[in-house]
Parts: sequence; structure tokens; C-alpha cells
Amino acid sequence: MARSYLFIPGNVPRMLQNMDVYEADVIIIDWEDAIAPGEKDEARILSETFLKKHAPDVEIYIRINAEPSLYEADLAHIPLNHVKGVVYPKSDTASLSKLLKVLPDSLDIIALIETPGAFFDIKTIAAMERISALFLGAEDLCSELGATRDPSGDAILFARSTLIMAAKAYGKDAVDTPWADLDANNLQKDAARAKNLGFDAKSAIHPNQVPLINRLFSPGAEQIKDAKRIIAMHERKGTMRFSLDGKMVDKPIIQRAYKLLEKARRYGLDGGDSVD
Amino acid sequence: MISKSLETLLDFVKPSDGMACSFHHHFRNGDNVLNMVMEALMDRDLTNLELYPSGIFPVHTSLIRALKENRIRNLTTNYISGPFADALNTYGLTGELTMQTHGGRARAIIEGENAIDVAFIAVSACDEKGNATGLEGDNVCGSLGYAIEDAIHAKKTILITDTIQTTITNPQIRSKWVDGILHVPSIGDPRGIVSGTLSITKDPLGLKIARDTIRFLDESGMIEKDVSFQSGAGGISLAITKMFTETLEEKGLSASFFTGGITKHHVNALEKGLVKDLYDVQCFDLDAIRSLRENPRHHFMSASDYANPNNDHRKIKDLSIVILGAAEVDLDFNVNVTTDSSGTIIGGSGGHSDTAEDAALSIIVSPLLKGRMPLIKDRVTSITTPGQSVDVIITERGIAINPKRHDLLERFKNTTLPLMSIESLQKKAHALSGVPKHSPAKGRVIGHIESRHGQKGDALYRKEG
Repeated sequence: MARSYLFIPGNVPRMLQNMDVYEADVIIIDWEDAIAPGEKDEARILSETFLKKHAPDVEIYIRINAEPSLYEADLAHIPLNHVKGVVYPKSDTASLSKLLKVLPDSLDIIALIETPGAFFDIKTIAAMERISALFLGAEDLCSELGATRDPSGDAILFARSTLIMAAKAYGKDAVDTPWADLDANNLQKDAARAKNLGFDAKSAIHPNQVPLINRLFSPGAEQIKDAKRIIAMHERKGTMRFSLDGKMVDKPIIQRAYKLLEKARRYGLDGGDSVD
Repeated sequence: MISKSLETLLDFVKPSDGMACSFHHHFRNGDNVLNMVMEALMDRDLTNLELYPSGIFPVHTSLIRALKENRIRNLTTNYISGPFADALNTYGLTGELTMQTHGGRARAIIEGENAIDVAFIAVSACDEKGNATGLEGDNVCGSLGYAIEDAIHAKKTILITDTIQTTITNPQIRSKWVDGILHVPSIGDPRGIVSGTLSITKDPLGLKIARDTIRFLDESGMIEKDVSFQSGAGGISLAITKMFTETLEEKGLSASFFTGGITKHHVNALEKGLVKDLYDVQCFDLDAIRSLRENPRHHFMSASDYANPNNDHRKIKDLSIVILGAAEVDLDFNVNVTTDSSGTIIGGSGGHSDTAEDAALSIIVSPLLKGRMPLIKDRVTSITTPGQSVDVIITERGIAINPKRHDLLERFKNTTLPLMSIESLQKKAHALSGVPKHSPAKGRVIGHIESRHGQKGDALYRKEG
């Protein structure tokens, strides 16, 4: 349901302090790649203390470290009342199964799919009950593949499509990889491509990327209007199959309309109940 | 008379102890003229000087020498930036410091309260008769708006320039106001005159404030045909100016005029037909200077025509929206842009309180925390702009409407913008910063803030210890 996921480093006080004004739907506090090995404790303690004291009004995940020895220390510092789940890097079936044995019950997992091997496991990963979303990590993936990303997205088209198929097949959210440079035109192209392929949301590595992502991944006014008309007709007729404007409407379209309207309402985009 | 010798020119004006001199700040931190004149006056051992610089910048080090040597009696200005403020605290004045507004200074000169003996006016070019401009020559500054009342009303007006031409196109200063011309090798350093670094903020919080400001303006219904608009040259203000013109474009509207200090963002809007006229009292960059020179819809105006409260034709009287900054705001919506929380001078009104009072909608934009200090105090250290002139405070964490604006409160009662009372906004800041210890400024009074109408306001202190 979220549109944007913003990574912030766990050891930068100003970014922790302002996480709730960056307008991202989800904040991912990073304890992995953004934090040098010698600064892990600093990030854990600072993030934990801040979250407990200030309880920011935003959905929060923590990107934990992939190695068990590190993520066990990570888990010990997660304030469970303030964190929805963890983003787990280098996900594959075996490592996720191991994580699930020690992960506190209240936390869900966003599986970061960023190795070639993970794509051969992706159906099993998507099927895991506590996995809430599949998240494409294209930088690491391209690095392993020897591929070069550009705004056309050609290098990651297969990976994107595969991840979306798996996520949608199991009712999970599909979250697109960040665009690494801060050029707004390139971000626009990359994000639009992801949206058209079917991603539910996109991640950001800088707060200034969030407004554009939110705009792109929000339902448009015409979409909201169409969804309202479909739902109104469905509720009036009481059937899952009818004709509207000369086009057939059936169950998947009705379900999509409900989902779109829910998203619009969540982000204050629904202009009321009128269907006109 | 025309001379290449400052000494000859000074002999002509017959300087004496207690002389009242004025300067303008259009050459900002590239200005050579104030230092040149002040050093010469001090070398003549003059004391008890009455100074009326429209603004003081870090480059004006001669004023520090003047303080050390106890040569200034009273100092009246609109803005102080740089080490001179610390020197004021260290050495004090024998008389008093008065912090005026841009409009208030123009009014006080015209009405004789700022009685100027000699106006030393740097111009980028003039002719031999004394017609002058800031638009031609080697060291252009653009508009000379803040020097016009000085030129007209001083007992003697001396132009100082590095470029004398046969003719001046559309002179801003008329020869009939001028008594002498000093021709010098250089009036300033172009790197400090116009800024090549005025840029839109990239700070995410600043951009959020800018976006919320545009949403607020949109929901207020004020972005409409023939709206007029002013904002400053700070990073957030520039972002708002850019977003404001983009919104005009999206809506297929054009504004009637933009006023105040002009930047390339204002010029872009003019050239795209998104605003009909620019009224320019000060150019902030080379694009603004070029436009003022070339575009007939880009108009020069004096400080009096800009903001003098007793000038019925002042441009800001018709201003719809002004966007302003703040160092501190208080629970009564008073704004301080003159001192920091310890009382040290960090700026001054400039046109802040002029535009806030006259515009139909005055909006203060600022991050809620300035470093570790909350923006909103119980009482500001000194009032630059009274709360009765301030309509809205917009921060990254919330928006407060002044309770006196019942119309706005009614209009925004169903908004999804984060509207709250100013007390709630202060609590939000305190939750992050803690409640700062209040340390009221104290020490010997060295001067006052003066309202644009000439009333004495909050005291300014020479700190103890």
C-alpha cells in the first residue's frame, strides 16, 4: 500500500530527527551498508534511543545486517513498539529460514532480492508467510551480473518483471530499487518505468526523491474517478460482471478498483464520495 | 565638480566634526566606496560622525576602525552583517544605533529625520553632468533604488564612479541632484557585488516548507489572475518563487507584478509572460541587471516608491503576498530578524516589516529548529516585525495562522495541511530540542529598532562580560 520507502542511515541524528517530515510512506533505518563495521553499535544505540524517546509518526523498518552474528545484535536493539519489521539483505530461502527462527513475532520481513541466486528462490520467498514485500536491490544485482543500469531500465527488466510476478502471485507488495543519482529527470524515467511494469512502490536514497515518487505512485484523479464508478456500479448491481462504458468489468478489475481507492484514501487523494 | 582626488572632493564638501554622511549598500560585499571615504574622513581626524549607511557588510572594515577610534556618534542603518556587529558590542557608540526599515529610512530622509549633509553614492557609471546609473560600466550593481532619497535630499551629493561616459541611458540618478563626481580606478569588486551563488535550497526540509507554502497559497485562493508577489533571495524563498511561477504556469495565469529584490527566477517569470511587470529596488544577480537594462517591463524604483509608508504610491501597498524569513518568532507572532537569541545583531529589517505590514498576506517561512534552537520563543529577543503584521508561520512540522486572521482560519478549517496553534508548534519544537533557558539580553542600551513609521521599538544592548 505504501508508495515510497526512504533509506536513512541509522547514525545521523539530523536524519533520524526529521524522518517524519520527509513525507516518505515508509522509513528504512539502515544498519547495514550505510554503516561502517566499527559504527554498528553507534547506529543501533542512537536509533533505538531516538525511536523510544520520540516515537515518530511514520511506518518504520530497519535494514538489518545479513550475517547472523551481526543481525542477532541488531535484533537486540530493535524497539518492537516502534518498528514494523526488518528489511533483510541478500535474501534467499536458507538465510530467511534461519532469520525466522530468531525474529521477534511482531516483526515482518521485506525480502531484499539482490543476488542472481535469489531469483531461483523467489517463488518460495514470496510464499513465506511473514514476508510482506519483495524489494529489488538492483545495484548489488547489477554488480554481480556485470550489468550497467541506465534510465531505460533494460539491464534489470527481467529482474523487475520476475520480482513483480512473484510478489503479485502471493499477494505481496513489490518495491522497486532506488535510483542512485539525484538527477530528477533520470529518476522520473526510472520510476515511471517501474510503475508501468507493476511495482507498488519505489525506494529512495535521498529525501528529495520522495515527492516525485509519491506523485508517480499515487492514483491519478482519473483513475480514482473510474474506480469509484466501477465500485458504485458493482455495489448497485450486486454482481461481479457487468458492462461499463462499453467495456466488460469483472472480478480482477473490481478488486483493483477497491485497492486503488483504498490507497487514494490512505494518502488523502480521495476527493469525497462523489462518483461524478 | 569632477575630480580624481578624494581629498579635493572632500575639500569641496568641507567635512567637519559631527558631519552626517550616507552610503548605500547596492555594491554589497564588493563595495570599496564606504571604506575609501571613511578612511579619508578618519585621516582628517573627524569625530562625532553621524552615519547613515543603508546596509553594512563584512567588507566595511573601516567602520570597525571608526568604532575603535570613537569617531561615530550615531549610526542609523537598516541591516548589519558580519564582524561590525561584534565590534559594536566591543566598542559601543558614543551616541545611539538606530535600526530602520528600508521604507522607514526613505521616509525619514524625505521628512528630514535623517538629515544628511553629504551622500556618498557609488554608481557604476555616470556622465560629466552627474546623470548616473547602476546598469552601465565595469562594475554594475543594477538598481540604485536605496540611494535615490539620499541623492535628492542630502545637502550635498557626491557620486563616486570608475566609469564616466558621454551619455547615460535612462539615468536613475539625475544630474540636478548631484554636486560633485569622484572618478576612481575602482568602486568595487564584482565578485562581491552580485552573487553568483544565489541558489534554490536543496535541503529537504527547506523544500518541504516551500511545497507546503505553495499548497497554502493555493488553498488560500490567492493564486489568481493578477496576484502580486514578493519573496527574498534566501534558498527557501527562491524555491517558493520558482514553485509559485510554475503554479501560475500550470493554472494558465499571470501575476500583475513581483517586487523587491530581483533574481533570475523573477526574470525567468517575466520573460515567460508569467508576470506582467517587475519593480526592482535591488538586483541580486547578473540576470536581474541585464533584464533591468533591456526589458521595458522591468522597472527601476526608489526605496520610497517601494516601501515608504507615507508614500501613497508605494508599490507594496498593492502587494498580495509576501514571503519572509525569521531568526525567531514568538507566541504573539512577533518576528525577529535583527538579533540572535543572545542579542548580537545578525541582520535587520531591510524590507521585512514594511512588506509584512502592507501585503494582504504575509507568510513567515523557517525551519522549526535553527540548529538546536527552537524557532518559536515565548517572546522574541527583539521585535523587528510586530505580530500584528504577520499572518502565517510555515515550518516543516506545521503551520500556524495568526488568530487575528479569522478569515484564513475559517477557510482552512477542513484543510489536510498540518495546521495548528503556534503554542502547539512550539511544543513540537520543544519535544525535539528541550526547552531552552531564557537569557534576556541585558547590558547597556546602545540603540533601538525603529518602526517604519518612526516609533522607537525594542532596545539593542551592548552585552556585559
